Amino acid sequence: MEFILSLVGSLILVICVLVSVAFLTLLERKVLGYIQIRKGPNKVGLMGIPQPFCDAIKLFTKEQTYPLLSNYISYYFSPIFSLFISLIAWLCIPLFIKLFSFNLGILFFLCCTSLGVYTVMIAGWSSNSNYALLGGLRAVAQTISYEVSMALILLSFVFLIGSYNILDFYYYQSYIWFLIFLFPISLVWFCICLAETNRTPFDFAEGESELVSGFNIEYSSGGFALIFMAEYASILFMSMLFSVIFLGCDLFSLMFYLKLTFISFVFIWVRGTLPRFRYDKLMYLAWKSFLPFSLNYLLFFIGFKLFIISYMWLINFSKVNSNFYFYLMFSKHMLIQAHWLVN
Amino acid sequence: MFSISIMMFILIIITSVVMALASILSKKSLTDREKCSPFECGFDPKSSSRLPFSLRFFLITIIFLIFDVEIALILPMILIISISNIFMWTITSIVFIIILIIGLYHEWNQGMLNWSN
Amino acid sequence: MALPAKVFTLSRNGQRMFGTSLRLSSTGKDIVSVPKGYVYVNNKELSMEMNEITDRAATTMFLGELFRGFAVTLAHIFKEPATINYPFEKGPLSPRFRGEHALRRYPSGEERCIACKLCEAICPAQAITIEAATRADGSRRTTRYDIDMTKCIYCGFCQEACPVDAIVEGPNFEFSTETHEELLYNKEKLLCNGDKWESEIASNLQADHLYR
Repeated sequence: MEFILSLVGSLILVICVLVSVAFLTLLERKVLGYIQIRKGPNKVGLMGIPQPFCDAIKLFTKEQTYPLLSNYISYYFSPIFSLFISLIAWLCIPLFIKLFSFNLGILFFLCCTSLGVYTVMIAGWSSNSNYALLGGLRAVAQTISYEVSMALILLSFVFLIGSYNILDFYYYQSYIWFLIFLFPISLVWFCICLAETNRTPFDFAEGESELVSGFNIEYSSGGFALIFMAEYASILFMSMLFSVIFLGCDLFSLMFYLKLTFISFVFIWVRGTLPRFRYDKLMYLAWKSFLPFSLNYLLFFIGFKLFIISYMWLINFSKVNSNFYFYLMFSKHMLIQAHWLVN
Repeated sequence: MFSISIMMFILIIITSVVMALASILSKKSLTDREKCSPFECGFDPKSSSRLPFSLRFFLITIIFLIFDVEIALILPMILIISISNIFMWTITSIVFIIILIIGLYHEWNQGMLNWSN
Repeated sequence: MALPAKVFTLSRNGQRMFGTSLRLSSTGKDIVSVPKGYVYVNNKELSMEMNEITDRAATTMFLGELFRGFAVTLAHIFKEPATINYPFEKGPLSPRFRGEHALRRYPSGEERCIACKLCEAICPAQAITIEAATRADGSRRTTRYDIDMTKCIYCGFCQEACPVDAIVEGPNFEFSTETHEELLYNKEKLLCNGDKWESEIASNLQADHLYR
């Protein structure tokens, strides 16, 4: 019974993600429109609100091309896997209604984002077009460069909270957001999110002024729609992760979803503001700025963790109770209980 | 226990069905040779697009591989912290990360990270 | 004297520390000497006053320019959009707007065109075809006046060339059709346009007559 409930819950989650992807595209078009002093879509239905559904119908009934020179099987299946991977990443978010809360959620997320590179690469390569190949190459180089720093920053947080369970972010942020005492690393994390999702200051995968449309140039109708949905689902997921890591992770409250929406809005805001980077500068930013930064931060967090451990050891040794100690014990207890409940 | 695997299976079925649906719905056109050729700016592609390749991308991938393997080595460090000798753990992790940092600076110094020269 | 701490200059070349370095501390000095009467527009040499160095450092460290850019776009969100609700609202048109062609008539109802073929001669796209004949009352008139609107480039030369203000380009720009043939205008269609848009065309010509 529990099993069926969790399956139904995750199906509902996936459907809600797809619907929110649809409305995120509408939000993007509206916000970009108002930033450029125009209105954006406002004709369909009431103030253009059903626009994304019309877009979906239009996209899916468009003609599907069959590029003759492509490797058709990989060409055909890479959008499917792209959407699949960006949807599967959502399963690691421990929402409180009969979903999965696993101990290695952060590892699961890392695996999913790393796999996301392959779909873009295969999509670009198998189209067998110059633009697509260039876009694919750029996307791969960019994504893997930023993935190193992303993993390192995540690892520093993992060192801080001492486990790979995403739920722990909630327990450790119940008094103060990580955003407040780790502000610089949150900015770096946000940049990395932008680069990982191929968003605008770093949208080299589809630099439409130079590569026409980048890696998805040979795609039409369904394939394009799936790639598009995958990108926006990963944007939403990244903003979710930002609010999980930095903004309190109170997954059960409405505020969390407002924060999520705000971060997605910031993604769009950045797109409306910043022009595209230069490619060598992008690489320098990843390798010469973010990577040393995150490595040194990791070292700092290990030291910090050791400090906490020695502090706890001291407390244990001297049998002195303190709030901090109680708090940590309490959170571990809660964690074990939650874990027990889920399995 | 297997619910995540089953969910993955369901998801891949959903996405494939969506793609297949698109293929069925949009099955309406004649295949034209020009329409099916790779996109170029108005001419036929002269050569296969898979030949030209900048070596920089490959080098970046090599560096990425090194760092990713090292990250994979750091990953279990958090979980073993409670079952290991804390002194040995400290020495290991700090030396490891310092080696990583020094390796990065060495690569930087050697010009490996320069995109163009 | 406010002692200027020339941190950058000192670190770059220490010999200026004692010598003529005070001269450099003035704000925004031009890098090359500028002749009299010219304005130097390139980057100025950065000032090395302590407070200016701190200002620049603060701008860099707190990402001042980045956040100012974000503030600008955020402010634009709340501005009134420039969009007009097109089929229901329309933007302003100049009296010189060159839209759909029309053949005008005199107030008596007589058509103005005298078949001089100047417009046909001057048309750079060769979109105009005219055949002329003498009418029963002895006046020279066109029997055929065709404009291929798909060839026309809307340069307005026909209007300029016409000695009697017969062929004009009116203010109408909403004449799209679904077939090519509908855009091959003949004399009847052009005269009809002239009757339809006469008041607008006349007022536009009136507004612009001083400049012709």
